[in-house]
Amino acid sequence: MTGMLAVYQKELASYFRSPIAYYVVAVFLLGTGYFFLYNVFLTGETTMAGTFQNMGILLTTLVPVISMRLFSAEFSAGTAELLLTLPLDPWQIVVGKYLGAVSILVLMTAGTVVDLVPLYLFGMPETTTILAGYLGFVLLGMACLAVGLFFSTLTDNQIVAALITAAVLLGFWFVGHLQSFQRSDALRGLVGYLSFSLHFVDFIQGLVRSEAVTFYLVVAAVALTLSANYLKWRR
Amino acid sequence: MNSDSAVIALESVSKRYGSRTVVHDLSFTVDKGEIVGFLGPNGAGKTTTMRMIAGFIAATSGRVCVAGHDMATENVEAARLIGYLPERPPLYDMLDVSSYLRFVAKVKGVPRASIVAELERVIAACHLEEVVRREIFKLSKGYRQRLGLAQALLGRPQVLLLDEPTAGLDPGQIHETREVIRAFGDQHAVLFSTHILAEVTLICRRVAIINHGRLLAIDSPSGLRRALEETHRVMLQVSAPAADVRAELLSVKGVLAVDVHAIPGHPDVLAVDCQVEPQQGLEAAIARAVTRRWDLHRLERQQPTLENIFLRYVNAPTDDP
Repeated sequence: MTGMLAVYQKELASYFRSPIAYYVVAVFLLGTGYFFLYNVFLTGETTMAGTFQNMGILLTTLVPVISMRLFSAEFSAGTAELLLTLPLDPWQIVVGKYLGAVSILVLMTAGTVVDLVPLYLFGMPETTTILAGYLGFVLLGMACLAVGLFFSTLTDNQIVAALITAAVLLGFWFVGHLQSFQRSDALRGLVGYLSFSLHFVDFIQGLVRSEAVTFYLVVAAVALTLSANYLKWRR
Repeated sequence: MNSDSAVIALESVSKRYGSRTVVHDLSFTVDKGEIVGFLGPNGAGKTTTMRMIAGFIAATSGRVCVAGHDMATENVEAARLIGYLPERPPLYDMLDVSSYLRFVAKVKGVPRASIVAELERVIAACHLEEVVRREIFKLSKGYRQRLGLAQALLGRPQVLLLDEPTAGLDPGQIHETREVIRAFGDQHAVLFSTHILAEVTLICRRVAIINHGRLLAIDSPSGLRRALEETHRVMLQVSAPAADVRAELLSVKGVLAVDVHAIPGHPDVLAVDCQVEPQQGLEAAIARAVTRRWDLHRLERQQPTLENIFLRYVNAPTDDP
């Protein structure tokens, strides 16, 4: 536990001593602010639905920037040789690093709360719907970060890790659109189930379905398990 | 060598990457309180061996044990007892020196209450006082190397693995680093690799010579020298006809081979190189044989230096196809 905590603290410190955290949070908040203005003031609807939808796709492009360095940087800087020979189980390393990245996610999510101020000042938004949206957004981010962490264990090149992660995440985001091309129900169901965005839509509409919660958590768990086992195997 | 007291034990360890074998059937031990030098040219398999002992990579076959823990299955337990400085110091450039050391100390399980004292100890031992608050990416090569060493000393590990700890240091720093290793080796097992032969004679009790992934010899520096005395050489300079002096010297009992060549600029003096058996009084016999007929200008028995030993072992033909 101490070891995992130390890894977590080191990870957070590395984020904030490099420009990455500031860059990601700034881009995300600027982007979200723009979408919020666009969605709310142009349509006059006091909901976050449109903004959440945009936040989701913005997230899939920013997650690779957060996750690319998690392991790739350790391999390229040679620090993996320290990290993997310290008295740490690969699980402790993976979870410590993952929680560091999730902290950045939570931080950038918290920043968007500013947008709620005008919403409550000038309208009557549904609080529970907004809370469900935030829950879905954080769960979506957690699943994406775990996927990014896994690809970062596979290469010592941060750019490669980021590009693969971005491609895979965008694939999972848009895979739901394939539904209309499928004739068989089984394939339609499968494509729909794999879609990161279709599950997210439920949350945006204020629907917290246990199936959707489980989906994101399972994706995260599978990606983290693969990462820890890959680290053990590559010895 | 008593295997019970061995802190590091390798039993027929091999490492293969696909069809390429980097380490062949390597076996040796390092005992408590012993400093062993690991000598070999670049690409000999030193770093791979170090990495297997540290648990960074696993052996393809054979067994690596550290303090009784099999590195194949108990590497996390063993890691508590190992201080490891890889060939490239594993430093987080974005952290400052003190937070970096604090991170390693925490992970190594140094109790919270003694972390400050432990940090002070390694900072003093590696002379890092001036850079404690500096970010690592601003450090010079010498400081980076010493910070890597400081990290390895944290938590007083039973085993210290140092992959070329003096690389990139100036002579003064090399001396200080050797003193740190020497002081540490009194109570712990130290295995360190180096290209610098003098270093080995200075601080090691035993030397392991490795090339092409095979252990060529492991002995004390003086033991290695003794082992090579059987191929001792006597060099002399004499004014004589080449054929006659060769015949004369070969008639002396104990002389195995004679090599005669001219010395540029001295037409009437020959340089003679004799391979002899390691017996006492042979120089006198050679001198007597030569002075009976010619003028002897110079005669010396060549002591094998560690350099010669190393080159001989490394250049010796191997069974490799």
